[in-house]
Amino acid sequence: MTLEELNVFVTTQANVGMEAYYWWCTALMVIIHVGFLMYEVGATRMQNAVSSGVKNLLAFAFMIPTFWLFGWWIYLAFPGGFVPIDLEGYGAPWNTSMGPMLSDQATGIFWAAFTLFACTTASIFSGSVIERIRISSFTFLAVILGSVVWILGASWGWHPDGWLVTRFGFHDVAAAGCVHTIAGLFAFGVLLNLGPRIGKYNEDGTANDLEGHSLVLSFVGLLTLIVGFFGFLGGCLIWGGADLGGWTNIYGAPATLSSFVFNTLMGLSGGMIGAFWWSKGNPFWMMSGGLAGIFICASGLDIWYPGFAFLLGIVAGCVIIPANNFLHNTFKIDDCVGAVSIHGVCGILGMLVVGLFASGYPAAGDIPPSSFMGQLISACVMALVGFVPGYGISFIMKQADWLRVPDSVQKAGIDKAELGLQAYHN
Amino acid sequence: MNTWPGPDNSWEGVDAYFTWADSPGMLVLITLGVVAVCVGIIVAAAKHEAETAENNK
Repeated sequence: MTLEELNVFVTTQANVGMEAYYWWCTALMVIIHVGFLMYEVGATRMQNAVSSGVKNLLAFAFMIPTFWLFGWWIYLAFPGGFVPIDLEGYGAPWNTSMGPMLSDQATGIFWAAFTLFACTTASIFSGSVIERIRISSFTFLAVILGSVVWILGASWGWHPDGWLVTRFGFHDVAAAGCVHTIAGLFAFGVLLNLGPRIGKYNEDGTANDLEGHSLVLSFVGLLTLIVGFFGFLGGCLIWGGADLGGWTNIYGAPATLSSFVFNTLMGLSGGMIGAFWWSKGNPFWMMSGGLAGIFICASGLDIWYPGFAFLLGIVAGCVIIPANNFLHNTFKIDDCVGAVSIHGVCGILGMLVVGLFASGYPAAGDIPPSSFMGQLISACVMALVGFVPGYGISFIMKQADWLRVPDSVQKAGIDKAELGLQAYHN
Repeated sequence: MNTWPGPDNSWEGVDAYFTWADSPGMLVLITLGVVAVCVGIIVAAAKHEAETAENNK
């Protein structure tokens, strides 16, 4: 084998390996949606179980074409803010890069991974609004969140040329900000306009527990979606390829899957144990705590000492329940699965702990090192990127009477009234 | 834009291959079709929901 042949062989293998790696990360991420679907359907009362599932499936189905139409282009075009950069057509759906092309082994596979990230944001939002949002309204909002809002945040804070990265050294390697905070705060904005399910609050302001029909389905779903998150987190690393440099994080700095798996598992474990203790053994909160434990570690998933990740997980597990209670008592929202607390609150904490405990961590190239102010500013931006469109668009939809299922249909049960189906038969 | 098929029924020189959709205009037309389906289905679902609401008053 000549040196030239060896070079071709190594490059080919690196490209094929990269494709295979992100292919399987994408496949694993589908399991996130299996988990979210089980989780949400279990948290739904029996009369609305089918419609909750349909809603979740539709978000998945609509995200794929819309992310192909404009989501991927938004990521590439807006790293500088609100003014798009000239990509000479790259990323547009009629560009040759967005289809079968022998010289491009990267675009399709990265588009797919990002599409599944987008689907994840929609699933996060989905659980919070079950049993009273119109299916068409939810689908529209899910597309706005997944194919516009989160990806704009990702362009600012995840893209190596994003303005939050290049100006403030924003460090958010596993998307605590651009996925979890944005999705959680978008859900919060919508919840304020959507209102609670019938029967959630009494006239004196006290709340009632509207129990889902299957706690078992919910917590098995939660455990299932953690399997899927291994695909999500794996997709947050950049394949080393043939440059002999090994893995890098999304910003081009050296990182390893080993560090990711140390901190994912330790954060998960801490969150489960913390929530077990705080909730006195409620498995719903225990598994939600596990997720929150991952999310609070996510911004610095490449850098934490695993014992510290465990302690962060404990904090997340203990925070989610009082944070959820505070949001319900203060704003009278009805977040059926605690998504604002689990994803929004713990996502923000995840960004801030990098500023507190990993300030000065170096980045690649001209990107400044991480700092507390950089993380604080970026956390505020991510929160606003999620909340403002969530609140604003759902407010307009509410005025147009295109947001909430009418009370009469809620009472009849959405499955029977709207879909002519029921989840369970004798 | 579309380099398929290569000369002499081969893969030589082939890069992008969009088979019969071999023009920017055709790709834009197909894209508009995708947009129309996505918007149309959401509108149809909204109409069905409005009818259901009417029937359950």
